[in-house]
Amino acid sequence: MNNETASKETILEIRDLKVNIKTDEGTLTAVRGVNLTIKKGETLGLVGESGCGKSLTSKAILGINDKKCKAEGEIIFDAENLGRVNLLSLNPRGKEIRSVRGKQISMIFQEPMVAFSPMYTIGNQINEATLLHITRDKKKAREISLDVMKKVGIANAEKRYDQYPHEFSGGMLQRALIAMALVCSPRLLIADEPTTALDVTIQAQILELMKSLQKDFGMSILFITHDLGTVARMCDRVAVMYLGRIVESAPAVEIYKNPQHPYTRGLIGSVHKIGTKAQERLFSSEGTVPLALNLPAGCGFYDRCSRRIDGVCNVYDPQLVDIGQEHQIACFACTGCPYGKGGKEEKANE
Amino acid sequence: MLKYIGKRMLLFIPTLIIISVVIFFIIQLPPGDYVTSYVAALSAEGETFTAEDIAQLRLQFGLDDPWFVQYFNWVKNIVTRGDFGYSFEYGRSVWSVIMDRLYLTLAVSFVILVFQYGVSLPIGIYCANHQYSVGDYALSFIGFIGTATPNFLLAIIIMYVVYVNTGEVYLGLFSTEMLQNGMRWEYVPEFLGRCLIPLIVIGTSGTCGIIRTVRAQMLDEQARQYTLTARAKGCSEATITYKYCLRAALNPVVSGMAGSLRTIFSGSTVSAIVMNLAIQGPVLLTALKSQDMYLAGTIVLIQAVLVLVGTLLSDIALAWLDPRIRFAERG
Repeated sequence: MNNETASKETILEIRDLKVNIKTDEGTLTAVRGVNLTIKKGETLGLVGESGCGKSLTSKAILGINDKKCKAEGEIIFDAENLGRVNLLSLNPRGKEIRSVRGKQISMIFQEPMVAFSPMYTIGNQINEATLLHITRDKKKAREISLDVMKKVGIANAEKRYDQYPHEFSGGMLQRALIAMALVCSPRLLIADEPTTALDVTIQAQILELMKSLQKDFGMSILFITHDLGTVARMCDRVAVMYLGRIVESAPAVEIYKNPQHPYTRGLIGSVHKIGTKAQERLFSSEGTVPLALNLPAGCGFYDRCSRRIDGVCNVYDPQLVDIGQEHQIACFACTGCPYGKGGKEEKANE
Repeated sequence: MLKYIGKRMLLFIPTLIIISVVIFFIIQLPPGDYVTSYVAALSAEGETFTAEDIAQLRLQFGLDDPWFVQYFNWVKNIVTRGDFGYSFEYGRSVWSVIMDRLYLTLAVSFVILVFQYGVSLPIGIYCANHQYSVGDYALSFIGFIGTATPNFLLAIIIMYVVYVNTGEVYLGLFSTEMLQNGMRWEYVPEFLGRCLIPLIVIGTSGTCGIIRTVRAQMLDEQARQYTLTARAKGCSEATITYKYCLRAALNPVVSGMAGSLRTIFSGSTVSAIVMNLAIQGPVLLTALKSQDMYLAGTIVLIQAVLVLVGTLLSDIALAWLDPRIRFAERG
């Protein structure tokens, strides 16, 4: 299936995306040049720990980041009505970007309990996107909404339609949120940690649901998470993000079998596997993520890396390099430094 | 919902009984009574009273009874005959004194209330949507000045400025001609003009508070996740502001309205005196000063009723606005 999807057309391409946040202490570059492509019908997992810039990246696609955040670079989207368009060049409050939001790219958020306004019924809020993008006929919109609500497994949809969010359970709300995102059959669905706030049994249900809906709707998914178990289940390809950059990108199977970047290895080592002895400690990366304010030169993972090469990793910025079939990595320790000192030969002599 | 309202209304009865006892007791607390202050006032003008005259007056007004007997008689007359007692100062029934000024009071206060919310809601929304902009700072600055300046001072300043520039003295809501000839249609523009100063003076005092509340609430709501959800759906900024944020931001504003019914009935005493407005506030002040106890007691009692009714009304409005409150009451 991986090879099949790989040959398909690109639906979204992010080129050198940077997101700067103005703070009182100065400008914080939270996303530092991200490159990503998502193909039609594919699920791309974006993995990284809290604060690495995954959410900012995803919100930048829709242009719904906070006013304090400024995005640079290019986000090329293959839009139905606008053709291939750089979403960042559109006015974030304008009509064009709004015709993309909710209709062609929609988003599921991590906390369903606060993602709905408590003031309006679920039906009202699901309808809104349909009324904006598809039809002005309220009866028709209601039918479409009910249909999607049934599809995502909300039993008794007619009754649920007129209920308020506080009458829903967390899992049901997440289903409603998915229904709201899918009601206009988007080409790309961004799922920002959609199962983090749910308990484990519900998580599994929601993930299965998303997978089957993806088949029905034929959409691409950008799946954002810090949970590698979910990634294995959901994604075709995985991009690992650290401190505002992609450090490794590969097909999902490859990432598990053959992780290269020290950070990715750390992440995979930190997943609890069945068969591990209870006394054995899970691997945890040392240190914490540095604040992306006044970052020193060099690799962002330098301070925490077990394989760091002094004089190289803290001097040069590693770039993504191809190391295999669709497998890219940004690490001098793995690929050698192209800048002279600390290259593979020299390392071998040590 | 109806059951809830009924329950709340029933609770009014014990609350009112307690409040009325407290009111009456407190009004009786200062040493002396109406006769004492009446005699003192007339003696100052050279009249002489014998001890017999004074005893006669006290008997006539029933002031020698213990306070709870007086209270009981007062309440009995209110409940059985709708008679709120006798105003010593005015020499007629309390109710007729209140009715004198009731309509004008209600008209003036209602206009002020509409002015306050009509001005401060849009400003609050603007300030939230343009947080930290020049406009936000400027409007907040003006609002704070309006709040910090005592109303009577503002009244004097505005009247002075108007006088210097136009030569007109706008004192009171009616000109001498209006009072002589009664109200006619041709006087309406001038009457409205005369309303303007009290409107600005009394209206600005509450505005800043409401602006700050609305602004803070709107900012809170804008940071909510559901605002982001709405934006991600493709909603316009106007939908986000009015449908989502404002609706949720109104809660504390509506609760705040509970007290305004009382203000409508008898607020802004000092400004009313300065501007010579024939509204209820100054009446209460003089009644308290001259120990005209039934008049003072009645006005305070009506205020208490209005606070209760205002609270009920704002609770009903809240339930209508916010489904979560509505459902909590049902269950």
